[in-house]
Amino acid sequence: MARVDVLMPQMGESIAEGTLSKWLKKVGDPVKRDEPLFEISTDKVDAEIPAPAAGVLAEIKVQEGQTVPVQTLVAILETEKGAAAPAPAKPLPPKAAEPQPAPKPAPTPPVPKPEPPAPIRSGDGGGVQTAEQRLRTKSTPLVRKIAAEHSVDISRIPGSGYAGRVTKQDILGYIEQAPTQQAPGPRPQASGPITHPVSAAWPGDRVEPWSKIRKITADHMVMSKRVSAHVASFFEVDFTRVAQLRAKATEKATFLAYIVKACAVNLRKHPVVNAAVSGDSTIYRADVNIGIAVALDWGLIVPVIKHADELSVMGIARAINDLGERARTKKLLPDDIQRGTFTITNPGGFGPFAGIPIINQPQVAILGVGAIEKRPKIVTAADGTDSIAIRTMGMLTMSYDHRVVDGADADKFLADVKRLLQEFPEGAV
Amino acid sequence: MALPATRPTGAVPSGAVLSADQLLEIYYYLRLTRTLEERLVALYRQTKVIGGLFRSLGQEGESVASAYALERGRHKDILSPLIRNLGSLLVMGAQPIEILRQYMAKADSPTRGRELNVHFNDLEKGYLGQISHLGDMIPVMAGIALSFKLRAEPRVGLVYIGDGGTSTGTFHEGLNLAAVQRLPLVVIGEYNHWAYSTPPEKQFAVKDLAEKAKGYGVPSVTVDGNDVFAVYEATRFAVERARRGKGVHFIEVKTYRRKGHAEHDDQHYVPKTDLEHWAKENDPIDRYMQRLLTADLVAEGDLKDIDDRVRVEVDQATDACVDESLPTPESALPGVYVDPPAADKLWFKVL
Amino acid sequence: MAEVTFLEALRQGIWEEMERDERVFILGEDVGAYGGAFKVTDGFSKRFGESRVIDTPISEAAIVGAAAGAAHMGLRPVAEMQFIDFISCAYDMLTNYVATARYRAGLSTPMVVRGPCGGYVRGGPFHSQNPEAAFLHTPGLKIVYPATVRDAKGLIKSSIRDEDPVLYLEHKWLYRRIKEQLPEGEEILTPIGQARIAREGKHLSIITYGATVWKSLEAAEQLEKADGVSVEVLDLRTLLPMDDAAIVATVKKTNKVLIVHEDTRTGGIAGEIAARINEQAFEWLDGPIMRVTAHDVPIPYAPTLEDFVLPQTEDIVKAARWLAAY
Repeated sequence: MARVDVLMPQMGESIAEGTLSKWLKKVGDPVKRDEPLFEISTDKVDAEIPAPAAGVLAEIKVQEGQTVPVQTLVAILETEKGAAAPAPAKPLPPKAAEPQPAPKPAPTPPVPKPEPPAPIRSGDGGGVQTAEQRLRTKSTPLVRKIAAEHSVDISRIPGSGYAGRVTKQDILGYIEQAPTQQAPGPRPQASGPITHPVSAAWPGDRVEPWSKIRKITADHMVMSKRVSAHVASFFEVDFTRVAQLRAKATEKATFLAYIVKACAVNLRKHPVVNAAVSGDSTIYRADVNIGIAVALDWGLIVPVIKHADELSVMGIARAINDLGERARTKKLLPDDIQRGTFTITNPGGFGPFAGIPIINQPQVAILGVGAIEKRPKIVTAADGTDSIAIRTMGMLTMSYDHRVVDGADADKFLADVKRLLQEFPEGAV
Repeated sequence: MALPATRPTGAVPSGAVLSADQLLEIYYYLRLTRTLEERLVALYRQTKVIGGLFRSLGQEGESVASAYALERGRHKDILSPLIRNLGSLLVMGAQPIEILRQYMAKADSPTRGRELNVHFNDLEKGYLGQISHLGDMIPVMAGIALSFKLRAEPRVGLVYIGDGGTSTGTFHEGLNLAAVQRLPLVVIGEYNHWAYSTPPEKQFAVKDLAEKAKGYGVPSVTVDGNDVFAVYEATRFAVERARRGKGVHFIEVKTYRRKGHAEHDDQHYVPKTDLEHWAKENDPIDRYMQRLLTADLVAEGDLKDIDDRVRVEVDQATDACVDESLPTPESALPGVYVDPPAADKLWFKVL
Repeated sequence: MAEVTFLEALRQGIWEEMERDERVFILGEDVGAYGGAFKVTDGFSKRFGESRVIDTPISEAAIVGAAAGAAHMGLRPVAEMQFIDFISCAYDMLTNYVATARYRAGLSTPMVVRGPCGGYVRGGPFHSQNPEAAFLHTPGLKIVYPATVRDAKGLIKSSIRDEDPVLYLEHKWLYRRIKEQLPEGEEILTPIGQARIAREGKHLSIITYGATVWKSLEAAEQLEKADGVSVEVLDLRTLLPMDDAAIVATVKKTNKVLIVHEDTRTGGIAGEIAARINEQAFEWLDGPIMRVTAHDVPIPYAPTLEDFVLPQTEDIVKAARWLAAY
């Protein structure tokens, strides 16, 4: 005895279901092959459906009036012939036909290679970037491939291509000239992975592997010193006037806000201090974006006030607060820490008298703000007599890159900053 | 018995004589056509036939009779059938199992599951299946007939076209080319009253298809398509004329499509009285049987034997292939060209 | 060794094949008594007889369909479209019947459909077309498009001998404008499916075919002299099946690609080539894949209009220069 399934047929390409309108046999009835077994109705046609084999109607699965999808099991027949079962298809005898050629597999896309150790990047939040940024730091598939093969950081290589991107020639040329690890080249290596020398730990010492941000900072500091010709200028500024303006202001603004403003205005006047070095070229930045170094528990970060020259002192103050808050609560966006053109580091009240900061690459200058406090100062009266006065003073130290910023440039800039701070206009806030 | 409404314009007797064996052979093909189609309908309703099913109920006579007038055998005449010319295919030597495998999309079908319906061919046996674009087979058969002419072979081509198909551009171009080149091609225009749901009044402005032939400089005749003898004689005449190098001949056969366009079409647009009339008064097989028996050309027992033989033959063919498998998926790739031998398997299939 | 024109080379190719193989015959409009609208088959009727050079009615569909039927029976028809612009009248027969015949029905259909294509001749919209894009997505059909005198001959001979149906596009502007010395006594057969390096280069590759091969070579000369940019020019010759290996090889060599063709930008086969380069050679690109094509307008008649619409040498120079500097 064999079981034969009876299915709801598909009468037409677009038909998806059928209604079993009438059973023409009942369970237990014998049926002949092709004898009408049941009637269906669909959108297009009503039809009698013949039995697929001779046998007995053993089971009815779908009742009259039911609508079911095409191919649904509606009944089961029991037949005598085992061979009539439509279950597993008989294997075909081997055919002596022409051998069918195996289809040629299509060219497969290249399998992505495992990542080499991540090269250093500065100022890269790793998230959303503009196309230009991407071009400059990642360039084209070919250049990325070469960079990966040679473990080279693209963002460190000067680019001569469109939008300052690194071209094939740039990277190949760079690789050719880059000194090997043993060679004692007089040229500082602008890029490549930095390995810090290892020292032995003594009993009782605690060895703490660097967090990502610590590593980035450490590598950056070493690299910056290698790349730039660091020189520092010290200018002592009398902040008494600014202190007065602060006291009178309706909205609170720190000394830093005034310093940022003064720098912003004068970076416009002295564009070489608002620049970057790229290979044998100086890039004069179109915007004045001032980064403010923020010391967090877990490391150093430099959020950037964009277009600082277009903001008022109050505007700057608000920006500083906002960025600082978001830095502390880890809510900075990648764009907040990118595209700085000048950096100010302000340790604040507990800071040193003066410091010599390290330049934030690829910028050419960084301003350190010393502690601002009351100090004695010689003041000359209008009639020429000198006296000692109590003034609010602070030391500004600018480290700058003597490759492109000459002493005169730096000093003129700082002199203008000092003058502006000491003669800060009343209504300019 | 009542004659159909459209009277034939007169078949030209060609003096062809059919022996008793031949008469029975014709009957065999008529019965085989109808029985095989009935089996296909059952299989369709059992979901074993995939896609559409197109019956030739009522047209078996003209399909079988016209094909029977050709010289059959290897490298003889060649015909191109449409979907309702199953009878002509069987006459030329196509096997029921091949038809069943085609309809059930089996891997071993003549087209390896790549084409459906009766769209398959065997040029050695003498048939070239159509593609769905109606009219297109006329230029192609003209090309085949051209090869006969260029090689000075005494072979003839025969191609079917429906009343609707005569509206197409390729019908026009093909018939014109064949006519002006005086190719050995016989065109059978099947006036079966329906192109899907479109009647002749909406299809053309002439009354009979035969009138169109005049525009091409081609002789034509209209015959009663349900009269097996009339169709045989007319085709025989046209084929032998073509064989003698006299060029194209057009034969219009008046018949009737008794089922819908396909099995899913319930023909609601056809008056039921017409269907009843043609079924009861003008079935080609009934008429043929009556003619044979009335004229005492064969014995009734002979016809019954053929009925039984046909039933067994169809059962056996069905049983042999109904459980065969469908083609394997990757078998879709080879055979687009001779070189390269197979299409590329795309990358995402190899992941 | 005689110098022959592109047209003369094409004629020689067909003639040689008809001499060699009696199954080859020609059909088309005005091909016999007139010798063809462009005189490609001039003298053929006299030599081979009217039965092998058949003058047909104006019936592109029937010409292509009849060629197919004859090919099934073992003949080798070469069907001419008087202007390839008229191939659209036979689109159904060529794509639905001819191209599918082997796959769906195991039918052998060795035939060639050929005709003059291309512009720069002030022919207006219906005597200037490049139809390859309409047929590129037709499995079962081959498409060839020679650019040189040698390939005009080599490709028609290979096409006639090929077992599959071939669409042979011959550029009417090249017919009499280019000449080459062809070696005598050598059977010239250009393999179908193989591209050819027309010019070696290092910095940038131009992938092209047809008349724009010549404009690309002119552009390459200019760029070498003026900019010191070394341009490689790849002449595809066969459009279907496309020579992926040659395309990938030139991309790997120069890392910059400019695709140039006379057909329109939208839907022109440059898009297909770019997709293949993206799939197969992405990591080798040092710049975006760019293309120089006709504007998306029907080809206009007036010289000032046509010259603007179709790609010119200076367009290729400017595009290549931009890409080289990227």
